[in-house]
Amino acid sequence: MILYTPLSETDIFPSSDKDFQKRQCASHNGRQVYVEETQDGQYQLLQLLSTDPQDFMNPDYTPGTMLR
Amino acid sequence: MDKEPSKKDNQNQEQGDQANNSSLVQKIQQLGQSNVAQAPDSNIHVLSIIGQIEGHVQLPAQNKTTKYEHMLPQIIAVEQNPKIEGLIILLNTVGGDVEAGLALSEMIASMSKPTVSIVLGGGHSIGVPIAVSADYSFIAPTATMTIHPIRLNGLVIGVPQTFEYMDKMQDRVIDFVVRHSNMPEDKFKELMFAKGNLTRDIGTNVIGTDAVEYGLIDGVGGVSKAMMKVNELINNNQGPENQVIQ
Repeated sequence: MILYTPLSETDIFPSSDKDFQKRQCASHNGRQVYVEETQDGQYQLLQLLSTDPQDFMNPDYTPGTMLR
Repeated sequence: MDKEPSKKDNQNQEQGDQANNSSLVQKIQQLGQSNVAQAPDSNIHVLSIIGQIEGHVQLPAQNKTTKYEHMLPQIIAVEQNPKIEGLIILLNTVGGDVEAGLALSEMIASMSKPTVSIVLGGGHSIGVPIAVSADYSFIAPTATMTIHPIRLNGLVIGVPQTFEYMDKMQDRVIDFVVRHSNMPEDKFKELMFAKGNLTRDIGTNVIGTDAVEYGLIDGVGGVSKAMMKVNELINNNQGPENQVIQ
């Protein structure tokens, strides 16, 4: 399918509320993290919200990590 | 008697190995590498402003956004933590919500600790006031900044009133940039309303060295220059009373 339109993709295919409900901002070991709930009920880290550069060196907070 | 504990140890080790292996596999899957370097604690923190600046409306999930409700508490935390002496702001943004962007800019500008910003890739639209809000700003030679009039999409109720409001909002952006950079107001307005630079649009796309020539950004550089500058500002900020007398 080819769309030729000045509208943005999301104007034509609006993203569902489900996408938002799965994502949330949470606190994990004192650090703010942005997580997504996976199908099996675990939380996968999407983004670490920290200003400390050392936190980004911590292998426990690499994006994609399953949080416990 | 001797055998039993060793068997237990073996079991423990096996379990440990399994856990290690699975985390190792996960790391390789996510990062393509098995280990990341370790370094001592840092007195300089980093605030990355990446993607769109999200305001009152939540953008669809596939957009990469900077949410100002996440950023503002972090700025407060950096300001009040005595161990943190300086802040580096990394910018790669296409712009976004004007008032969220101005909120971030004002927060950064009103910090007492030294701040240095680096524009990487792009610092467009509302990224411009955020870039200049730091005490000292750098731009990568290949980075660009688009200066253009502010825009609004969506339903407008009361066109003349909205126009007035937008005009005032634009003045706030111009005022902020003029106050926090070395660019004269008439030059900034000239670039903002220039014709012919952006094919059929008005505005100007300013690239690395040009931004410095116009006085919008303080210097061309990257990580090393920004680190040097922030350390220099930290030393100046500490004043003579805190320095060790030799």
